[in-house]
Amino acid sequence: MKTEPALMSLTSVAQAIANKQVSSREVTQSCLDRIVRWQPHLNAFMAIEAADALKAAEAADASLARGARRGVLHGVPLAHKDMYYEAGKVVTCGSRIRSEFVATTTATALQRLKDAGTIRLGSLQMAEFAYGPTGHNSHYGPVHNPFALDRITGGSSSGSGSAVAARLTFAALGSDTGGSVRMPAHFCGVTGLKTTVGRISRAGAMPLSQSLDTVGPLARTAEDCAVLLGLMAGADPADPTAISGPVPDYAAATRGGIGGLAIGVPTAFYVDDLDAEVAGILEATIAVFRREGATIVSVDLPDQRQLSAAAQLVLAVEAAAFHKRWMIERAQDYGPQVLMRLQNGLAIPGVTYLEAVRWRAQALAAHVAAVANVDAVIAPVSPVPAPTIAESDVGNSPDAEAVIQRLTRFTRPINYLGLPALSIPCGFTRAGLPVGMQLVGRSFDEATLLRLGAAFQRATDFHEREPKLP
Amino acid sequence: MTRPTAKEVKATADIAGVVVEPEVATRIANSIGPVFDAFAVIAGTLPFDLEPATFVRVQTEKAAR
Repeated sequence: MKTEPALMSLTSVAQAIANKQVSSREVTQSCLDRIVRWQPHLNAFMAIEAADALKAAEAADASLARGARRGVLHGVPLAHKDMYYEAGKVVTCGSRIRSEFVATTTATALQRLKDAGTIRLGSLQMAEFAYGPTGHNSHYGPVHNPFALDRITGGSSSGSGSAVAARLTFAALGSDTGGSVRMPAHFCGVTGLKTTVGRISRAGAMPLSQSLDTVGPLARTAEDCAVLLGLMAGADPADPTAISGPVPDYAAATRGGIGGLAIGVPTAFYVDDLDAEVAGILEATIAVFRREGATIVSVDLPDQRQLSAAAQLVLAVEAAAFHKRWMIERAQDYGPQVLMRLQNGLAIPGVTYLEAVRWRAQALAAHVAAVANVDAVIAPVSPVPAPTIAESDVGNSPDAEAVIQRLTRFTRPINYLGLPALSIPCGFTRAGLPVGMQLVGRSFDEATLLRLGAAFQRATDFHEREPKLP
Repeated sequence: MTRPTAKEVKATADIAGVVVEPEVATRIANSIGPVFDAFAVIAGTLPFDLEPATFVRVQTEKAAR
């Protein structure tokens, strides 16, 4: 066991607590100690609930002493993106508008993690209303990248990426509508799972786009993501869009080899205009998968620019519709960039929006045909490593759209198709910035992605590298 | 399909009940113009019987394992 409990993985610390090698209180105190040291540098937490967390940890230890283990994550402290409703808690959604909103229900995903025994450390920063890819927040300040404090974390799950990377929490919920789990995972050097639309209930999660929103975990390993997905997935009466049927044993899937699996490498779009170091890390990553037994083949994907455009049409209209009342009554309470992006949705005709929604079936069918011979497709999450906070602080300037488009170019098409994608740490630039790659799978086949991710992490140590305080 | 002009953007936003200033309408038109251009290949080509829920059928029957 590592001497500092907070440095352990989610699955390792859960097992150590269960075996009474370490108490939940010791683990929680270890996380809180790190939060005290790191938070002034990162701004990753929206709220820190130290006293309540320690009280809950002591209660968890007491119940374990009586032989009562609540679930597989008994006594494990976690914090999540501040958009998951928890009854009685303020849930800001990273906004001024909801700065005093107290939830009256608890999100299904969150409740399922609580039922497994987790403890709440507090809540994590995020882009305002999850509508921003950089990690900037004009109300609460930017979140900083633990590997380079002058760099962005990516968004919108900015606090989740930062806090998991700095070992302040063992894992965190994020959400992914246009790349918001995968980009913080890429920029911050952690593992992030964008789930299939319908895989996890969205009940009690702040909405941004009903067609594209997904709930997903960020953690240190694919195995940790598998455990979390297994706990959260499945039907939910509160969200009819969550699919029924048995939930696969995702954790078991991570223990399998990858011999016989085929990985597709796109011949265009995802390999165009890459930063040279990102391109090099993509090649090195492919080589690792080949060495581990996967077959590597080229795949010709349909035009991804059209998928990206369709994603933007759907997102812009649905977000504007959710926010229309506040856009009329409280426009001044939005940050400039978020208001700018919400206003874009006002200009898209209903017929165009519905064409973008209707085309989704054809687009997915075309994608399925293109990848019929592979189990997953590999691609960079973003063409670049983390930009500086200063250079990406573009607000609602004329440059804003270009910055957003460049960062999210490789994530939006996947959201439009509703597919699952796992972002894994695959290397570091010479300047020490993490670089992640996404493995994109078939609908509801998160298990294969987690299997591939775990095999890669058994063969490499990028996911184990810890950032150091300056 | 053509990208909307600033004047059209302002009219559409006004109809939606959210009044935007002319300079904001210009900014929106410039911002979403490329999206319209990229989607123009698809717009107006979809088969009559294709309805949104078809996506779920493709997702669960064709794409899933």
